[in-house]
Amino acid sequence: MTETAGRMDLEALLGDALRPIEPPESLAARVEDTLSAITEEAAAALGSWADELSDSELESLRDPRNWVRPVAAIAVGGVAAGALAVVGARRRRKPSGLRQNAERLIGELSSELRR
Amino acid sequence: MDKAELDRQFSDLYKAHLRDVYSYSYYRVGNHHDAEDLTEQAFLQAYRHFERARRESDGRPMRPWLIRIAHNLASNHYRDKSRRPESNIEAVEPPAHPHTTERVVEGREELRLVMRKLEVLPDDRRDALIMRFALDMSNREIARALGRSDGATKVLIHRALKQLEEEMAHEGGSGDD
Repeated sequence: MTETAGRMDLEALLGDALRPIEPPESLAARVEDTLSAITEEAAAALGSWADELSDSELESLRDPRNWVRPVAAIAVGGVAAGALAVVGARRRRKPSGLRQNAERLIGELSSELRR
Repeated sequence: MDKAELDRQFSDLYKAHLRDVYSYSYYRVGNHHDAEDLTEQAFLQAYRHFERARRESDGRPMRPWLIRIAHNLASNHYRDKSRRPESNIEAVEPPAHPHTTERVVEGREELRLVMRKLEVLPDDRRDALIMRFALDMSNREIARALGRSDGATKVLIHRALKQLEEEMAHEGGSGDD
């Protein structure tokens, strides 16, 4: 057998041996669930942080230098929330209580900052 | 570009290449459980860096970038465990073929042999062959995924095939296993 023919056989064999593998159906749902979990963790972090605020801390938020923490939490939530839509969001759900809380808190903080 | 459009593009990338990332991960780690973990991590990491990667891709296909993420994660996976996988590519069951029984047995033995010999190759050679044959990637795509030049990748694949050929010939000649 010539070297070229041998190489062709080997390549054909490799093509057979290394066929693409179909991912299990559960994998897409799993990725989606992971992204959901990240979103909820971010919302929970934002919620618990806001719950901990005292009046004086709310007062301190009038200073833009103190906005890093809430902005970071909102950013994390935003990134993960976007990722949810990305994977097709096959299992659409109503916003969780945590998310509603987070949105409400963001609104309240904005009002507080404007005052 | 607004975020909705960016997310739509990521969604397209995800749908188009889920099988590629999964196949690559599976042939790297040799079992479905770890392959699923790696695929999940690869897409999460890809999502985090998608905007920047897309900007820097300058219109080129994103698949090599995605496979590079899976490649790095698979390397880290081994490093974290400080060992080679217990169940690796050698353990991957060859696919079934619609031939006669005798040819099936003969063919499957040949496939098992090639899988076993793939495991003998240095990591970069084996990975390049997985990209070429399991994912049907071009030399240029493989070069981008491995962070090498086109020329170096061509040489890498040539050497990988040559070594594999020699390993197979040696096995055939010795008649033992």
